Amino acid sequence: MLTYDQYLTPRSLAEAFEAIGRFGAAARVVAGATDVLPWAREGRAGDVHYAAVIDVSRIPELCGVELRGERVRLGANTTIAAFLANPVLVEHAPVLKHCAVWFADDQIREQATLAGNLVNASPAADATPAMLAMNSVLTLYSSANGQVRTRSVPLDEFVLGPGQTRLQPGELVGSIECDSMAGYGAAFEKVGHRRSLVISTVCVAALVRLDFAQRDFDDVRIAVAAVGPVPTRLTECEAFLQGKPVQPDVIRGAAELAADRVQSRTRREYRREVLVNFVERSITDALAELGISVSSASATKEVQHA
Amino acid sequence: MPDIEIRLTVNGRKFARRCAPHLRLLDFVREELHLTGNKEGCGAGECGTCSMFVNGVLHKSCLLPVAKAQDAEIVTVEGLAREDELTILQRAFHKAGASQCGYCIPGMVMAATATLRRNPHADLEEIKEGLGGNICRCTGYQKIFAAVELARDVMNGALPATALEEETYRGSYIGASVRRLDAPSKVSGALRYAADMTMPNMLHMQVLRSPMPHARIAALDVSEAATMAGVETVLTCNDVPGVDNYGVFIDDQPVMARGVVRYVGEGIAAVVAENPLIARAALAKIKVRFEELPAVFDAEEAMQPGAPQLHDAYPGNVCKHTKIRKGDVERGFAESDLIVEETYETQAIEHAYLEPEAGLAYLDADGTVTVQAPDQNITHHRHMLARILNRPINTVRLIMSPVGGGFGGKEDMLYQGMLALAAIKTRRPVRYVFTREESFIASAKRHPFRIRYRMGLRKDGRILATSMYMIADGGAYAMSGPGVMNKAAILGAGPYAIPNVRMDAICVYTNNTPAGAMRSFGAFQSEFSTEAHLDLCAEKLGMDPIELRRVNAMRDGAITHTQAQLGSVSLLRTIEAAAQAARWAPGEPHRQTRGEQRPDLGGNDTRKPCTLGARLARITTPANTVGSASERKAVQT
Ligand SMILES: Cc1cc2nc3c(=O)[nH]c(=O)nc-3n(C[C@H](O)[C@H](O)[C@H](O)COP(=O)(O)OP(=O)(O)OC[C@H]3O[C@@H](n4cnc5c(N)ncnc54)[C@H](O)[C@@H]3O)c2cc1C
Repeated sequence: MLTYDQYLTPRSLAEAFEAIGRFGAAARVVAGATDVLPWAREGRAGDVHYAAVIDVSRIPELCGVELRGERVRLGANTTIAAFLANPVLVEHAPVLKHCAVWFADDQIREQATLAGNLVNASPAADATPAMLAMNSVLTLYSSANGQVRTRSVPLDEFVLGPGQTRLQPGELVGSIECDSMAGYGAAFEKVGHRRSLVISTVCVAALVRLDFAQRDFDDVRIAVAAVGPVPTRLTECEAFLQGKPVQPDVIRGAAELAADRVQSRTRREYRREVLVNFVERSITDALAELGISVSSASATKEVQHA
Repeated sequence: MPDIEIRLTVNGRKFARRCAPHLRLLDFVREELHLTGNKEGCGAGECGTCSMFVNGVLHKSCLLPVAKAQDAEIVTVEGLAREDELTILQRAFHKAGASQCGYCIPGMVMAATATLRRNPHADLEEIKEGLGGNICRCTGYQKIFAAVELARDVMNGALPATALEEETYRGSYIGASVRRLDAPSKVSGALRYAADMTMPNMLHMQVLRSPMPHARIAALDVSEAATMAGVETVLTCNDVPGVDNYGVFIDDQPVMARGVVRYVGEGIAAVVAENPLIARAALAKIKVRFEELPAVFDAEEAMQPGAPQLHDAYPGNVCKHTKIRKGDVERGFAESDLIVEETYETQAIEHAYLEPEAGLAYLDADGTVTVQAPDQNITHHRHMLARILNRPINTVRLIMSPVGGGFGGKEDMLYQGMLALAAIKTRRPVRYVFTREESFIASAKRHPFRIRYRMGLRKDGRILATSMYMIADGGAYAMSGPGVMNKAAILGAGPYAIPNVRMDAICVYTNNTPAGAMRSFGAFQSEFSTEAHLDLCAEKLGMDPIELRRVNAMRDGAITHTQAQLGSVSLLRTIEAAAQAARWAPGEPHRQTRGEQRPDLGGNDTRKPCTLGARLARITTPANTVGSASERKAVQT
């Protein structure tokens, strides 16, 4: 059970840092609280007490979604539900809406935040690979002598291992900026024990853009999670596809390069097979979103449940 | 204890209350406002029994600190129906028979309401997705989906309102859809389960559970816990006045550990306090010194000489050995053309009813102790309690509260003794509600079996001899185990006419979580192996597996292996109907194909794998890129 003496809901960054400064390690930051509350239960952290819980969800500087030229700025508090409902994200971060339908359920998506997902740093976090594929950079805020300080950390350097990030004590995630991916075809593949409310056994995020003639791959972004301690980009698959023609055997060739990325200690063989098929299928599905169909025998192969 | 002021509108009424700052919205609504329609099933956002509207958006209220919902407008399941009239959705749930145990239903109704508000024309796929965060253990969901579709059609005028009314009685209830009498109370949240009950002056109980699989309790010191402010009493085995040894078939279980713990999760002491928080804090003050004993976690190992012994009265750890002998099995094997041997294993299974164990105990003015709990066997529990409490049975009363799912898991008595003792000792009402985690670790499971199967058959498929040697892991206490062994032995060979049968079902004590009653009570494990084995034999004989069953099926007037004379036997008709419904094609190598190649998939009456993204399709349609108004409102970004 999670208990605390105070629940603080700062309405500005300054107020938040005042509270963080006052309580230090005796306080816990929450946004949606969907990771923190279930964590403080029997079998995980057990009963946990804090002097204060600091709810950052109503800090304006941490909210909002905005297009800034070629980049999109997502406030730390952007909910997973916004992935489906926010018009800027639907157009400029098309992989997020695919990620969202696989994420928890309708109800938790209304509460769960992007920053919470990144900071929680689960190897199976679903939003992390989607954001990785869009070259995301985090803006982190901290406070020194009453001044708010800012630094940037690319997402691929931010997550260090299960539950571990570069976030320093007293630091807040302010926002996450990513490339605008308007015009890309996108796909998200996920498998777990069931369809809703499930931790990924393997998940893959993909974004694809073709060249002007719609014949060759121009830019492909693929990221995976749940197959190792940290979500990662499949740079070798991306490089393999660059400039190659859109053909089933080319896609399969790229997919097969992914097999060795599985580092998980459990169900390795299963994950290898699924990962390869998922990479293939995600590229095919992303192409389908662009109106291009690639027929491939194995792409339609049934993915067996974990 | 600091407190905060919470101001909320709940079901249209304004509330301002001071409460502990850490309460979740669910606690606030249930414990402070006594609106108990929405339930707590898991406390971790998984099950959806607590789903409520917060500013028009559905949330799992077990994941919401109440302070996060400050100034919000909340609607609980009680807020749906107006002036006693159920909503169309609630009436559709009633009509369609969508509520069984009912524990998930308030949350289900909320999720269905949210789904149809978002899209009044939601198709089946979108309905499934909308209910994706809500778990039901009874229905298999089909009737729930049917109810939501019915409501949708009535709301849209595709069906008349009369579609919600009860079917008129046409001279027979067979084949008719009869509404459940208790369904209205379930769809409205009015029905009170044990955890929903409160009484004036009520205390709360929490239990210290063993972290050790097998240990001697060298010292148990509850003095510090007992003297904490707000703690009324701390119970241990020393507080049991009667015979502290109970069970269904074998008396081997104390109310709380007596000198030794035999599994992780076994109750050691119970704290009774003004609120659950104080009780939990007191648990941490109880000092136990364990002397670890060697433990055994495998049933066959437990049967070996030299294995750790769990109960003095049962050397060798065998608590039950059921044998059935019919004919001469060895001769049957000798006469067989084919002998097939295989070993089968099944795993422990948790019932996972949505209602975790809970109970309320109190003393009547005349001293009668009453326990209200979702017990599946109250008369037996009452008899056991009278002995434990050393009271005449007419001063012990058990009232069965609505069972929020049992599947046999609430047959084996577990905590009722502690509750009764607590009420007697404190002379106040005492309530105890398990967490989901506690329910998992402490309650009985389905017996895991290891089955050595040997079957002798003639070339034409006739079974001449069956031998099943079944070892079941009974865990630390016998519970329903002996009965489960009997059923496994009696029914395990299946509904087949076999001249020679040898059945052994052995229940063994180990330091695992006790196994007890669960759906089909031993027949599942044994018959699973029989049916798997028959498939194997059919393959070896080159025979169609349906045909093999037909050849051996018991027919009208058959005599079972335990000499019961049967009247009419519907097995052949059942097999016929099943083969037809499955579009069974004799000779197809079904066992070798999977996925889309399977000829029996994808036709009428088969269920497609569920898909996600019904709403995604709507978003990507150019005409409707943004989603509905409620979706936009939901997001504060
Ligand atoms: C039933 C259930 C199903 C789930 N399903 C999925 C799923 O399918 N996929 C998935 O990936 N996850 C899933 N989750 C996990 C969880 O919902 C997500 O990780 C979510 O994104 C966490 O966000 P939050 O805002 O709720 O985090 P919180 O619990 O509020 O916080 C998580 C961590 O982030 C920190 N934090 C939050 N915001 C900030 C900030 N601005 N700056 C610094 N630190 C911050 C907190 O201190 C905490 O350490 C599920 C959870 C539940 C309960």
